[in-house]
Amino acid sequence: MTFDCKDLERALAVPELLPDAREHAKVCDACRRELWLWSEMSNVAPGLRQEWDTPDLWPKIRETLAAQQKAARPRSFDWRILAVAAALVMAVSVFVVMRWRPGSSAPAARQDSDFLTEQTLKEVEQSEAAYRASIDKLSRLAQPKLNASDNPETIADREKLLVLDSEISEVRSTVDRNRFNARLQTELAVLYREKQDTLKEILQRAQKY
Amino acid sequence: MAAGRVKARNDADLILASKRGDLSAFEEIYATHAGRMKSIAFHMLGDRADAEDAVQEAFLKIYRGAGAIQFDSHLAPWIYRILLNCCYDTGRKRRHQAEAPLTVEPAAQENAPLQVALRHALGRIHPQHRMVFWLFEVEGFRHSEVAAILEIPEGTSKKWLFEAKQELKRLLTESRS
Repeated sequence: MTFDCKDLERALAVPELLPDAREHAKVCDACRRELWLWSEMSNVAPGLRQEWDTPDLWPKIRETLAAQQKAARPRSFDWRILAVAAALVMAVSVFVVMRWRPGSSAPAARQDSDFLTEQTLKEVEQSEAAYRASIDKLSRLAQPKLNASDNPETIADREKLLVLDSEISEVRSTVDRNRFNARLQTELAVLYREKQDTLKEILQRAQKY
Repeated sequence: MAAGRVKARNDADLILASKRGDLSAFEEIYATHAGRMKSIAFHMLGDRADAEDAVQEAFLKIYRGAGAIQFDSHLAPWIYRILLNCCYDTGRKRRHQAEAPLTVEPAAQENAPLQVALRHALGRIHPQHRMVFWLFEVEGFRHSEVAAILEIPEGTSKKWLFEAKQELKRLLTESRS
């Protein structure tokens, strides 16, 4: 094969042609420069990597994770959660009874005990709206406290609230697509409780100091 | 800090221990990946503080998601995929120009060393090509890993790398002529 300058691009894509390209580059300055640049890019690229010390990063992550683990443990009793749970249990029981009743006309698509009835869903959504309003109120009270300090505890709280908000928004968007799913509604309620407890802790701590 | 420790446990062991709440196992995962994660996040966000925030957020998500990962899947692509998503989120939150911080750097001088010129040129190529170039050439991932991280076929990773190098060669040739 007679290698020409116009063959260079193809040679860069097809490794088998590279020996011919190198041979040609011995007598062609332009191609020699292009070949050099092609390989030199890969040689200098690792030097672009950025490295710097962050001695505080892991402790911050560890603290946040430890706080989350602590927060995940059982907390004080919350009647609203019990109410939601009771409503769910009732809904599931009613559904199971309806499902096994002879001649039941329950639609085939809803034959799953994880699903809520219309009425129970309405109740759950009303409870959730009230719960959300009370959490919003707590958030407004806690926000100045969160902004006022940069101690590790507050930083961890801020991070935790961010994580919780993102989880709540994820679960909510799933719930929006599947409103009758009892498991998702319970998961959402647990996240709200977690957020409420965190906000309460922040406010209690602020009162102490 | 676990940096520099001999890596005695494999990824599956570490993630299993992390799932049980063993923070020292999770620290090993951090020590193995944090350096490279910071570099990628800095490349995407153009700011060290933002990069650290994104890495922190990624590790929190990794820890929470540890329960869901399959043991037959590789840990690294999953970790870096989470990081990229966190970088996109951080970029959006901070209203920075995510993925294109390099374009704001001053233009390379005519006789600038190749590395400086390359850094500048990288800011001007297609973002997907740039990301493949960065992961493969700068961070040293293999094509199979790049493909798993970006969720693209391996052939696409190779194609985008070639196209990235073509664009870079053209830009570098222009800047040096």
